[in-house]
Amino acid sequence: MKTIAYTCPYVPAEWIAAHGLRARRLVPLPIEGTSTIPRIEGLCLYARAFVNDVAASDDVSGVVVTTMCDPMRRVFDLLVRRVDTPAFLLNVPSTWQTVAAQRLYLDELKRLGRFLVRLGGHEPDKEELIRAMLDQAHGNGVHGTGFPNAMNRVGGPTPYGHGVPLALVGGPLMLRDRVLFDVIADCGGRIVLDATETGQRGVCGPFDRRRLAEDPLMELAQAYFRLPDASRRPNSELYRWLKDQLAQSGAHGIIFHHYVWCDKWRAEFARLKEWANLPVLRLDSEGDGPIDMVRTRNRVRAFMEMFQ
Amino acid sequence: MNEAPRQITLREWDDRYERLQTRGVRQPVYGGPLGRHVADGDTRLLKLRYDSSLAALRLWNFLLTEEDRLRAARDAGKKLVGTMKDLGTVPVMAYSLDNLVAFYPDGAWWIPCVMEVNSGLLQIADSLGIDESFCPVRAMLGAFVTGTHFPIPDLLTCSVGATCDDFSAIAQRLNGLGHPILWWEIPHRRAPEVEEEAVQLPGDFSAPKGQIEFVQSELERVKTALEDLAGQSLGAEALAGGIAKANHVRWLLAQLRHLAFTATLCPMPALEMLIAEMLAIHFCSDQDETIVVLQELLEEVNLRVAAGTGYSSADAARVFWVNPVADLQVMNFLEDCGGRICGTEYLFAHALDPIPQTVPPMEALAQIALADPMVGSAADRAVRIVAEVRRFGAEAVIVSRIPGASHCALEGEIIGEIVRQECGLPVLEIEVPPLTDAMSPTLRTRLEALVETVENRRSR
Repeated sequence: MKTIAYTCPYVPAEWIAAHGLRARRLVPLPIEGTSTIPRIEGLCLYARAFVNDVAASDDVSGVVVTTMCDPMRRVFDLLVRRVDTPAFLLNVPSTWQTVAAQRLYLDELKRLGRFLVRLGGHEPDKEELIRAMLDQAHGNGVHGTGFPNAMNRVGGPTPYGHGVPLALVGGPLMLRDRVLFDVIADCGGRIVLDATETGQRGVCGPFDRRRLAEDPLMELAQAYFRLPDASRRPNSELYRWLKDQLAQSGAHGIIFHHYVWCDKWRAEFARLKEWANLPVLRLDSEGDGPIDMVRTRNRVRAFMEMFQ
Repeated sequence: MNEAPRQITLREWDDRYERLQTRGVRQPVYGGPLGRHVADGDTRLLKLRYDSSLAALRLWNFLLTEEDRLRAARDAGKKLVGTMKDLGTVPVMAYSLDNLVAFYPDGAWWIPCVMEVNSGLLQIADSLGIDESFCPVRAMLGAFVTGTHFPIPDLLTCSVGATCDDFSAIAQRLNGLGHPILWWEIPHRRAPEVEEEAVQLPGDFSAPKGQIEFVQSELERVKTALEDLAGQSLGAEALAGGIAKANHVRWLLAQLRHLAFTATLCPMPALEMLIAEMLAIHFCSDQDETIVVLQELLEEVNLRVAAGTGYSSADAARVFWVNPVADLQVMNFLEDCGGRICGTEYLFAHALDPIPQTVPPMEALAQIALADPMVGSAADRAVRIVAEVRRFGAEAVIVSRIPGASHCALEGEIIGEIVRQECGLPVLEIEVPPLTDAMSPTLRTRLEALVETVENRRSR
């Protein structure tokens, strides 16, 4: 079975599975020594690591990139020029309040379907799609990791146990950033809400079973299109989602993580701080080497002292 | 005015202005000595060198009095529309309604340069969490907070989607501070697929018809908002008239650019040409006056070309410039180093292309919006640059990076790769912050090296 790689949560793995292909959410390690994109200055390191990891993967038959952020949109340009793997750019609208934007997303999924067929997938099968969506709802997953998404590989929440309950908020995390969860635990905290893109926030809500049976693609598109993110315009839904999740999780504080050149998340920090009625710690990661353990640990520890 | 052109300082211009006054030379209502703008805090003007023509004086005064014009428009009962991240589409609609004035709040990105970072706008942006890792357009946030550089508009529109993340994030921050924004989606322009109907766009791009229809529906939302604000409807005929007027501005600029980039001696310096091109985006808040300003510039240039006068020498290195500079002074540097501008792509090439007049007006605007070089791939943009490089006979390309701008991290690499491959020309990538004083020796050295490379290639 051919494997299709992607990283953005707005790519529905169920749709790829419905074409008889394996979806693999590629959360970069990143792999050392790869240099499809050697430049570092000004470029979000997650986007760079994604492309380099795709280039280094010899078991990927196709890759799907989205327009949710400018760095990803632009690394696609380099990807198609420097990597042989067929690539597809999925246009995910930033706006979400109009029917036209929702329709555009649905049309883009259909276009993605044609790309998948060209790669050797079969025409989308309704029953297969329903099955994939139900599997996803039951946590069996179609993302190639054996889990609903990659969050379990990065970190994920630990709802039980000791430590100050905290929320982790931000864009995506790389696999090697899993160390962050250990650092937080070592410093006396525990993540009860992983609101990163590779965490709970990147998982679409439950599907409506009646609509799923009637028109699974429409239901899939609607569920994924509702995912909250800093990049949506306006991004009020992100704050609505956070409000609910923070209350449910009982988090006492927020750790805000972003990569240095990720403008959309970086810009949210000040607003989040004004908005949240909780202490907020910002961790900006250069992402180009192992997390600066000493610096991070000191900052998290100092933050934890606030709760004593 | 048919004197030999020369670049003069602000002080020289003020002396010259006095002499012209005594000779009874008339100025428009916003005219006057350039020095008075320095008293308003525009201290960078002291370091620039200007073309010595009355047409250039008018251009500068027009540019530097926009705030007064906006306040006067509001006092006269007109409604103000801030068209953010919009390089020449929504303003065409707004100016088709007689009681709206559109302006470009993003233009505040030059305030830190013009006021030499004394405006405090960047510090305000810093305090709002928008630090120096963002493009200098963050100054706009400070301008909204202080309300001192332009009046707060009655309606704010902003295109999102295939735009740079800096601006999108800054606009969202602005929205979070309580400024309502009408967001409209501009999708990433892509090539039509086999089964899709293709539409040829201005600038030789193409897009699937479905994308044109989508953008048109988005622009219809904007049009409705403009009509609500204006209290009048915007019919196809009025909009067609607005498009024809915008095309007149574009036609004037096309003539001006052709002469400036192809004449044996450069008839108008790079700095004035940059300002002139910027007028196409939103007409500097007065469309009629924009036409007059450009007509005067064109007359001056025509006179110079006919007389065989101009700047530098006939063998100045012919340079194609990509992206606008955050520090205006750098355009002077190029000429100091022996170069001249022969072609530009300042991010808004589509604002210089004629808007199609053979299709319904709203469809035409959708086409021009999708023809924005920034909404497509960098490779597409490079192809357009290559065509212009050939058209104007450029001998080198400079890609000027804007600090912090998300599109600048990679586009230079792709544009450079394609230009070298297609044209075999040297490509120089530089970064230009709002004030280059500390790095001007380095910048000049790099520009000189490029000019020398061009000269060496000629002698080979």
